[in-house]
Amino acid sequence: MKRLKQSGNASPGWVLSAPAFLWWSFFFLLPVLAIVYFSLADKGGYAAEQAVLFNDLDLDNYANSLTGPFFAVFLITMRTAIVGTLTALLVGFPVAYTVATAVRRKWQPVLLFLLILPFWTSFLLRTFAWRIILAPEGPLSMFLQTVGVLSSPLGILDTQAAVQLGIIYNYLPLSVFPIYAALDRIDPRTREASIDLGAGRIRTFIEITLPLAAPGIAGAAMLIFVLAAGDYVNPAILGGAQGLLVGQLIAIQILASQNLPLGAAMAVVLIALLGMVALTVWLLVLAVKRAMKWVWDPGVHADRKVLTERGSHA
Amino acid sequence: MERSVDTIQADARRTHEMAVADSNATEDGGNAGRVTLESVTKYYGEVPAVDRVSMQIEAGEFVSLLGPSGAGKSSLLRIIGGFERPEAGKVYLGTEDITHIPPHKRHVNTVFQHYALFPHMTVGENVVYGLRQDKVPRPQRGPRVREALEMVQMLDLADRKPSELSGGQQQRVALARALIKQPKVLLLDEPLGALDLKLRQQMQIELKRLHREFGITFVYVTHDQGEALAMSDRIAVMRDGGVEQIAEREELYDRPGNSFVADFVGSQNFFEGVARRGGHELVTEAGVVLKGDRATGDIEEGATVRAGVRPEHVVLEPSEGAGGVNRLEGVVREIVHSGDSLEFVVRLESGRDIFSRIPRVQSPNFERGTRVVATWSVSRLTIFHR
Repeated sequence: MKRLKQSGNASPGWVLSAPAFLWWSFFFLLPVLAIVYFSLADKGGYAAEQAVLFNDLDLDNYANSLTGPFFAVFLITMRTAIVGTLTALLVGFPVAYTVATAVRRKWQPVLLFLLILPFWTSFLLRTFAWRIILAPEGPLSMFLQTVGVLSSPLGILDTQAAVQLGIIYNYLPLSVFPIYAALDRIDPRTREASIDLGAGRIRTFIEITLPLAAPGIAGAAMLIFVLAAGDYVNPAILGGAQGLLVGQLIAIQILASQNLPLGAAMAVVLIALLGMVALTVWLLVLAVKRAMKWVWDPGVHADRKVLTERGSHA
Repeated sequence: MERSVDTIQADARRTHEMAVADSNATEDGGNAGRVTLESVTKYYGEVPAVDRVSMQIEAGEFVSLLGPSGAGKSSLLRIIGGFERPEAGKVYLGTEDITHIPPHKRHVNTVFQHYALFPHMTVGENVVYGLRQDKVPRPQRGPRVREALEMVQMLDLADRKPSELSGGQQQRVALARALIKQPKVLLLDEPLGALDLKLRQQMQIELKRLHREFGITFVYVTHDQGEALAMSDRIAVMRDGGVEQIAEREELYDRPGNSFVADFVGSQNFFEGVARRGGHELVTEAGVVLKGDRATGDIEEGATVRAGVRPEHVVLEPSEGAGGVNRLEGVVREIVHSGDSLEFVVRLESGRDIFSRIPRVQSPNFERGTRVVATWSVSRLTIFHR
């Protein structure tokens, strides 16, 4: 794809991006800095004017966040987000792949439309509907007991399992769309070329389809992971007392306990954890890429070196 | 005589080869690269894309499948490549029935339309791909990749990504990627379609050279008759899923089997009329009699038929000497320059136009509006059966 060259009379890039940059600084960067500042302060009294005490800045709130039951919630949140992301990718990929490769072009938009149709109802309502389905005396529980899979009522509601389920359900379309977009951009002839050159279907999938869809998969993973890790609605509605996640914990600190500094510290820890997971995944991808490079190596240069060495000796 | 001895030896070798379940183009003496199609048929819904096509392409031959879009030439190529399964008929490679063998197990490789290079791999990684699939040991890959890239003058660009290459360069990589597999048959699906005229002519010469050097069978799909004529040993003209005629290029051009082939390969001035004298005369509605030496097939007396003469065979004369065989009077309506020749458009008295192409060095000094006689020798007119 050729990029259009910037013509002479167009404004330089920074002029055009200035509004977005200012917006972003004012509504994102400054608040984040404010949160970091708050996280170093201490909880004051209950009167509004002295709710936060800034006279003694220290890292106590971080020590609190990273120990005991609070830190356990962080770990559960990360686990829930990672499992949710992987499951959404594993379930979403085959759907996207089928729509992009096995469905006639004119039917593809129809299927994608049907996929997002349930999401026209409110996020809250859809999540709440699961309470009815998962209830101990609800339809799913009754069915499983009638069939004989369960001997007692379904006890999934108001647990971490229900939260996990809700997160997978709510973020699934976010995996299908970016992956579909990436797969759709692959020329089907590249797959045929791979088979033509002697690769079977599985080799073709691993060496051609998967690497070419990787940007879409990475985009989907990032999107789902970040949203799931900060999710507030699913644990609040489906988690009950057992299904607490960090998003909710932060809200409780700030709204119920009036401990704004601790809530701020937890928010910063969450951001740091997200960054660490993203960094780990990025390093993993780099390692895979290097391994691929080694497997794909045509050996052109190795030979050229040998030749010149021989040449110089002769 | 020699040929039959060859065939026997090849047969013996092939039997041995099948026993060891390994066939390699270089080890087979004769016909391993021969493609035989037996009544091959492929439907897309109700419409036959390929309709009972039978032909034999000899080992080492350069055969073009030529036809307008929708003629079924690409479908036929995809059937030989294994990407489509025919509903009926059989495909043989040498003596082996490959109708149901999947593409990755055929000793046939394809240069795809728009190249289909792997965008995430470098030129070198693209070219080595096929060797890796064949489990060629690592130390042997480098020299072979270098050889393949040198052959298409792309070695210096081995580390580039396809997106950093021009169309012509991508084309060369696609060729190297397919040829490194040493296929018995190379299939080419409109490989030069996306290139500009100059580059296309250059690549035609290049392809001819590669064909000579490798000595393997080339099956080449194109809708460009010039391309087909420039490179092929034989050309199969296709229409509506069927083969209209398969012949050497001179044969095809000089003795087309029907009016479709005559018109598609080169161009024709057509006349409609009634056949007389066993198909050697045609009388038009206006009563003009045209004579031709050649008729395609049996033509019944009085049947409605077409006659054709190529523009380059139509000579223009000053109108004084009117009368005689194959002489039609008219007025020069338009003169089209096309580099080394001039094309005169002459409006005949019947109201139709006839085209006459004359090399510029020989062209008469007629201007628009000049009354002329368009004429041609009896040997140049063909009368086509319907």
